[in-house]
Order: sequence, then C-alpha cells, then structure tokens
Amino acid sequence: MFWRGFRAIMPLYLGVVPFALAYAVTARASGLGILETQALSVLVFAGASQFSAAPLLGAGANGLAIILTTFLLNVRHLLYGIAVARALPNMTLRQRIIGAFFLTDEAFGTFLASGVRDYRFLLGACLSLFVSWNAFTLVGALASSLVPDPVALGIDLVFPLSFLAILMPLLKTKSEWMVAAGSSLMAFVFVPRLPSGLGILVVGVLGSLLGAFLTRDEPVPPIKPEDATREIA
Amino acid sequence: MNFWLTVFGMLVVTFGSRLAGMLLTVPLPPFWTRFVRFVPIAVFTALIIPSLEGTRGEGLPRLLGAILCGFLAWRTKQLWIGLFAGMVSFWLLRSLGV
Repeated sequence: MFWRGFRAIMPLYLGVVPFALAYAVTARASGLGILETQALSVLVFAGASQFSAAPLLGAGANGLAIILTTFLLNVRHLLYGIAVARALPNMTLRQRIIGAFFLTDEAFGTFLASGVRDYRFLLGACLSLFVSWNAFTLVGALASSLVPDPVALGIDLVFPLSFLAILMPLLKTKSEWMVAAGSSLMAFVFVPRLPSGLGILVVGVLGSLLGAFLTRDEPVPPIKPEDATREIA
Repeated sequence: MNFWLTVFGMLVVTFGSRLAGMLLTVPLPPFWTRFVRFVPIAVFTALIIPSLEGTRGEGLPRLLGAILCGFLAWRTKQLWIGLFAGMVSFWLLRSLGV
C-alpha cells in the first residue's frame, strides 16, 4: 500500500523536477550555498515559499517578513489537513504529526482523488514527493556550481517565469482573473515603495481579501483534488 | 535576522499550518476558506510583476519571453514547456539585440 501511494505521485514528477531545479538554480544564484539550498527543501519542504524566500534570504531581507509570507503561502495546507483527517479519522497522534510534516498539494490531491483510505498510501504519496523534491534540489544545486556567471546569463528570469507557469493554469473563473489583475496593479504600487518582502505580503493579503470579497455570494467551493495537484508544493 | 533562525520560523509556520488542519475538528469559516484559496494567485502575481523587468536593462526581451511562457503555460498547463520556451526565447531575442 505504501508503494502504491509512492507510485501514484510519479506522473507528477514532470512538474516537480523542473520546479525543484528552477528553485535550486535561483537559490544558488541568490547567493545561498548548497547546504542552505538543500536545508530549505528538507526542513520547510514547500516549493513556492522556498522559491520566494530564496532571493530574500540571499539579500538578507527582514526575516519576519519572509516568515509571514511563508505562513500566508502555506496556510492553505490547513484545509488539506482538515480534509485528510476527515478521510482518515482513526489516525493516531504520531501519524498525524508525521503526515503533517510531509503533506503537500500533490500528495493531498493524489490521496483524495485515489479514493484509497489508507494511511500507508498517504505516507507513500507524501514521501514520494519528498524524495523527488530533495533529489532534484540537490541536482540543481550541484549543477549551478558549473555555471560560471549565472547573473550574466539571465538566470534570475527563471524565478518570475516559473511562477508565471504555475499561475496561468490556476486562472479559470472571472474572479480569479480579477484577483490576478488587481494584485498586478497593487504590486506596481506597493512593492517598490515597501521594504523587500513586506510588499509581497501586503499584496498577498489584499489580493486574497479581494478574492474572498468578490466570491462572497457564491457557495464555498469544495477542494478539488485536481486543483491541489496543480498548485506546486 | 540570521538565516537559520528565519528557516526555523518558516518550518514552524508551514508545519504548524499542516498540523493544525490534521488536529482541527471544525471547518474554517466560509470567508477565510475563500481567502485561503485565493492566496496562491495573489502572492504569485506579487512575486512575478516586480521581478520581470530585471536590473540590467533587458526589460523588453524578458517581457517578451514571459508573455510566451505565460501563454504556453496557460494552454498546455505544463510548467516545463512554459519555462523552457520562455528562457530560450529570451536568450534568442537578447542575442539578436532586442
């Protein structure tokens, strides 16, 4: 059952591998060492927040703003935890703690979509992602050492392009497009005027409030597994 | 703040969010459920916009590469296709002096 969960994630490696490589290359180009780059993948294990934190960490930006942005980006995992705990009500405390540490968008989406209600399947899916994410973080971090001058090559463009490639498939409804448009405008206004890190946080909170406000009359959408697998870690 | 202290804080808030969900028995209020679902869109946009132009006067080829990347990612829903096409077109345009 563990290996069934492990294998169920494998088709998603196609998205995980380039994202892990792009993260590692960006982190190294931002001035983080191989150990620091890898430590984020092992300890934080949340792709988008590692990716967004790396340039800020490299530039020595305010740690509190980085932590709060990480919180904002990952607080959606609360919804996943609730859904998993409902699907597996008999989990022990130990299983909940281990499951929580390794839970990601992909593992959650795959577990829920599979219909299998077995903790070992969940753990297999979680660890499959953990192993691949960390293996390709290492590959990217080591390969970056071979590039003599990443900045002159324009490697910093990998950062916005990766997020753009993740963002575009998320935009389906009118309110989602409006949140993206509104956040773009706010980013123009706030990000250059606020300390690095804080601007992202402000736009993230205001943009999400805008989305919640725009959809206030709609029923709460259920979490769809296929949406979760599309958002990367 | 020190690098490792910041990473520890990131670990606490990420693991904390995941664990809180696993231990929680009541669902989140509807407004905050909606809020949380919009966070990736708002934050990703806020990350993309300021870093598109770059710092070395290569704004135009970067922007054109990003437009191609965004369009292909939207149509194919594949991260690697958008990223690959965007970077290659940026390098091509830059070498052509755009």
